[in-house]
Amino acid sequence: MVVCTGCSLLCEDIELVLKDGSISQAKNLCRKGYAHFQALFTERTRPTIDGKEVSLDQAIGKAAEILKSAERPLLYGWSNSSLEAQAAGIDLARRLGATIDDTSSFCQGILMELVLTGKVPTCTLDDVRNYADTSVFWGADPSNSYPRLLSRFAYYPRGEKRQKSYEEERICIAVDVRKSATARLCSNYYFRVPPGQDAEFIESILAVLDGKIPRFGDKKRMIELGTVLRKTEYGVLFPGFGMVSSLQEKTDLLVRLAAKLNEMSTFKVIPIVGHYNMRGFNQLLLDETGFINRVSFQGGKVIHGPEQSVMAAAKNCDAALVIGADPLSALPFGTARALAKTSLIAIDPRQTLTTNAARVVIPSAMYGLEAGGSSLRLDGAKIEFEAIFKTGNLSDEQILTRIKEAI
Amino acid sequence: MEVEVTIVAFQDIFQNEARKKGLYTDEYRQLSAQIILDKQDMTRLGVKDGQRVLVKNEVCGVVVAAKTSDDEPHPGLAFMINSPWSNQLVRDDVCDTSIPGFKKIAARVSPSEENVTQISELLQRMRA
Amino acid sequence: MVSAMEIYQLLPKEACKECGYVSCMALAVALLNREKKLEDCPSLQNLKYQDKFKKLKELLAPLEKASETGLIIHPEKCFGCGNCVVACPVNVAAEPTRCAVGLGPQGDKVILTVEDGVVKCMNVKECRRFGPNKVLCNACTVTCPSQAIEFV
Repeated sequence: MVVCTGCSLLCEDIELVLKDGSISQAKNLCRKGYAHFQALFTERTRPTIDGKEVSLDQAIGKAAEILKSAERPLLYGWSNSSLEAQAAGIDLARRLGATIDDTSSFCQGILMELVLTGKVPTCTLDDVRNYADTSVFWGADPSNSYPRLLSRFAYYPRGEKRQKSYEEERICIAVDVRKSATARLCSNYYFRVPPGQDAEFIESILAVLDGKIPRFGDKKRMIELGTVLRKTEYGVLFPGFGMVSSLQEKTDLLVRLAAKLNEMSTFKVIPIVGHYNMRGFNQLLLDETGFINRVSFQGGKVIHGPEQSVMAAAKNCDAALVIGADPLSALPFGTARALAKTSLIAIDPRQTLTTNAARVVIPSAMYGLEAGGSSLRLDGAKIEFEAIFKTGNLSDEQILTRIKEAI
Repeated sequence: MEVEVTIVAFQDIFQNEARKKGLYTDEYRQLSAQIILDKQDMTRLGVKDGQRVLVKNEVCGVVVAAKTSDDEPHPGLAFMINSPWSNQLVRDDVCDTSIPGFKKIAARVSPSEENVTQISELLQRMRA
Repeated sequence: MVSAMEIYQLLPKEACKECGYVSCMALAVALLNREKKLEDCPSLQNLKYQDKFKKLKELLAPLEKASETGLIIHPEKCFGCGNCVVACPVNVAAEPTRCAVGLGPQGDKVILTVEDGVVKCMNVKECRRFGPNKVLCNACTVTCPSQAIEFV
């Protein structure tokens, strides 16, 4: 069975026809997934030290050397690695007394924490397909980031209690700063909220649900929204990064909203995360340390806080291992710059701005294509995948094991 | 002529695809180095669709192509696809949540005669 | 999609009736329905209408690619999201354990499927918009996030 690791839907109905080591036909992969599979063949990394190509063993050796002698190492990335590799990474961090953080730290972390610690109720994607009559996309545009979410689960398919599906038994609501592709599909259930005003919008919904007059937004439409939410039997809220970055520290509003909605019906929350195994890392680290991200094992203790976030650690570390992530492309200029100037080790299957700036580059296998393992889907379901192409590239897990041995 | 905007970064499937094909390709640059502006703002700036503009704030400045928005009017609000170009404009000072302002970037836009900033230059700035 | 009015604006409007229609507007509609071709308008072949002929040819080009049901796919716009695959009633009836519930088809009796990242259309004669009992089904077009599928 071929599994796509292009996003955290981890679609398992992919069919490939291989010919002469390349993909001659692929079925059921969305545009994003197809591009992900084809990426196997372009801009691959080679083992390098200070820009010069070396042997894999030399690169791994140098990486181990740098990490061993560092006083404040940072291990960052993780959301594109398998559960097995993530576990190896957490173990490595412990041994080094390092700070470990993943991409959820500047993204969906807050929401993921609420879900994983049970502060907001959640469900599986199969529950969504079988029971949901209202899907709310808030600050998220799955049509572009999770292309098959609507067709596989949230809007168009039939389910146990939703045989008439989108035609009669499901609606989709979009809350966003712009009329995204997903918002266009939600037709008259699209609510535009100016940037940074999602807190006011939530307060208005809470007011309407309490029978009060909303202070923010078009009153008529807010009351309409309240009616729809009240009539919902099984609602699912998919908050995206747009909601998180707007609410910032006011996530208690989301907890209040979920609680209020659950007074009148069933309402679950599934955060839309970045990479395919972000949830996996958050779950593993939570199980081990009680925190989903931003942990320092310095001095044999477990320390968690803003200082342990990649945003701060990038500036305080004296060495950084970046695995399966490209912070130089994705992080704010100042943070990216700090990382570029430190002793940087990059483990990645493909070239990125980070590998281009790194002192040591270790090429790795693409999970789901060249290496097998397991991961957690968006909703926490455990999905396993196998290697399809035998290319000899080492998996993240294998590389980390070798680094640990060398230390 | 200068216009002040708040930029919101977003995801685009075609730009994502171009990224997977190649970080240093023309296609990736063309799809990423863009700023989507409200029609009114374009008129105030005196730029036409496709013309180059400098997007600048206290963090950095990038030259990208201006594109007219096909959304409902949103003067003062601009959109850029999440990319190294947009991230060069994001401040790294954060509050305790440590979530940077990717979705609320304050910047000034003005017409530019310079070429669109190459990705290699973005990298150079980080290594300088 | 081009409209009858847009086509009409570019026609010679000499009302010569040589195409068999009483008005140029009627011809415009016939051109849109592909009941007539541009070559069926003798007035349009005149050199002075060369530019208009060229423009009309451009505007009508997508229709030439349309299937008999009038379905046109623009693969370069397609997200490969599968919304159409799952919404299409013919797909759903043909694959109750697959397309109906969000998965890709296993058989070949479907009309829409996603291949190499974009939508592909086949067996188009099975489409409900075709044939003597045709209905104005638009499941695939209203569920598309990018207008990659449209009808003539």
